[in-house]
Amino acid sequence: MEIARAVELTADTRVASRGARPRRRLETTFWYIVLISISVVTVLPFAWMLLTSLKGPQDPIFSVPPQFIPAHPTLANYDKVLHTLPIVSFFRNSIVVAVSVTLLSVLVTALAAYPLSKMRFKGRDAIFYLLLGTLIVPVQLTYIPSYVLAVNVFHYYDTPLALILPNLASAFNIFLMRQAFKAVPNDLIEAARIDGAREIRIWWSVLLPIVRPSLATVAIFTFVTSWNDFLWPSLMLHTRDGMTLPVGLATLQGLFSSDFRSIAAGVTMTIVPILIFFIAFQRQFVRGLAGAVKG
Amino acid sequence: MTRRSPTPYLFLAPALILIAVFVLYPILSVIYYSFTDYSISTPPVWIGGANYQKLIGDPTFWLALTHSVVYLLVTPILIVLSIGLAIIVNRRMRGIHIFRALYYIPAVSGSIAIGISWRWLFDTNGLINSALISLGVLHEPIQWLSEPAAVLPIAMLLTIWAGVGYYSVIFLAGLQNIPEDLYDAARIDGCSDLQKHRYVSVPGLRPQIVFVAVISSLAALKVFDEIYVLTNKTGGILDSGTTVVFFLWEQAFRLTHAGYASAIAIVLLLITLIFSVVNVRLLDRRAEAD
Repeated sequence: MEIARAVELTADTRVASRGARPRRRLETTFWYIVLISISVVTVLPFAWMLLTSLKGPQDPIFSVPPQFIPAHPTLANYDKVLHTLPIVSFFRNSIVVAVSVTLLSVLVTALAAYPLSKMRFKGRDAIFYLLLGTLIVPVQLTYIPSYVLAVNVFHYYDTPLALILPNLASAFNIFLMRQAFKAVPNDLIEAARIDGAREIRIWWSVLLPIVRPSLATVAIFTFVTSWNDFLWPSLMLHTRDGMTLPVGLATLQGLFSSDFRSIAAGVTMTIVPILIFFIAFQRQFVRGLAGAVKG
Repeated sequence: MTRRSPTPYLFLAPALILIAVFVLYPILSVIYYSFTDYSISTPPVWIGGANYQKLIGDPTFWLALTHSVVYLLVTPILIVLSIGLAIIVNRRMRGIHIFRALYYIPAVSGSIAIGISWRWLFDTNGLINSALISLGVLHEPIQWLSEPAAVLPIAMLLTIWAGVGYYSVIFLAGLQNIPEDLYDAARIDGCSDLQKHRYVSVPGLRPQIVFVAVISSLAALKVFDEIYVLTNKTGGILDSGTTVVFFLWEQAFRLTHAGYASAIAIVLLLITLIFSVVNVRLLDRRAEAD
């Protein structure tokens, strides 16, 4: 495929007159200018944050025209933020919550998806439509009763458990997993049943290994959603040392009011890890997003 | 597998219990709370339809509802821009993967971090003002986020900016599924580049357009984080940035009017239901067309 296209391309250029080549080069240059211009728009706020976070006290943060490159670069702002805010704890809390939610949610939803995709039993359609219905419900609707449950019933207000338990049974993830299981041939499952394997064993050793790419997709999306979740965590977390990154970050503005260099340092510190995570799993992100539509 | 076996229910049990506790029970409670005077710390007292009556007469509620409906404008803009971006990055060029990744960055950075950076871009002492002044467009800085007419558009711009890269990935995958022959046929019929996309790409992307329309409009109806950060938890001067969910949050958790907030939540549910019915209709029409 790739080779065929390359041959086609060389054939194209050979046949084309000499005049076509500068035109093509012009076109390529044009598209690179377009691509770079768009990147400026998407990256500029981040670049500006990063550069501002490195500015020393002598560097103006507001000037006409704007100064981008710090003349007196310093890491002092990072130092200041790290001394004022427990950013390391924020990180640890975010990781604990996001990893727990991801692992448990994959487990719970993959378990639920198996009978929904591969077994016949009474009430299957009813359960399926019930799950379908919960997809429509705006999660904010549940916050008042969930808050009451957290304070009065489960007593997990201000603990990581409050962010983990309510976020495990995502109907959306159940659908994605059901879709993945449906594509697994029934023969494989029948063969395992004839061999006397129990259902939980079939689920674990036959189905899960086959749908590993879908598991990865579900896991990554759950992780990023949990990592960036703000409203519910902001209601549940009170003690500063127990906050997740977005919740802690939101207190940054109040703490440093107009010290923009420090705010920029705080924001930069929180964005970099998720960017590294994204770059590492970029392919799965894209595949997951592309696959979500077919499901 | 016999029909009587408890096995399927055992597999489903953890998910169903969690959904019962964290989705079904809350919905029923919210319906009940919406008919009570309730402040979370004291037990609810039945007051009938008083919360709904109050809601109908509350100008802030109507303002919030209007803002949420206006916010839906981000959906068509997102669709057009994302398809445009997908077409641009669908070219075979050296380094195109790097550009695709760069465009995706806003989508994964988290709304709070992005919101803070935007708050400072639009600050009186921010980059936007200093750039506009040095270009001679402005003579003195504008207090963007204290300008009632500007708050909601800036939040919408933020949503669009953060969403385009994300949704364009969906459209890109759709574009790559459109058979090359269709484009060849269009070229033979004398279509220009632009016409090719009008008559081949856009119809070919129908499933993705429906999907993005559903997802982004549901997200727009529920917008909160952007407003919270951009207005520094206030909802903006004269509630200029207050949306339905922000209003819900403010009533429930700031003013502890949980009963009143529950009535707002029910209205939010009804809006979402109506929206979903419209969306299902659209999906059905697509299924018939296929």
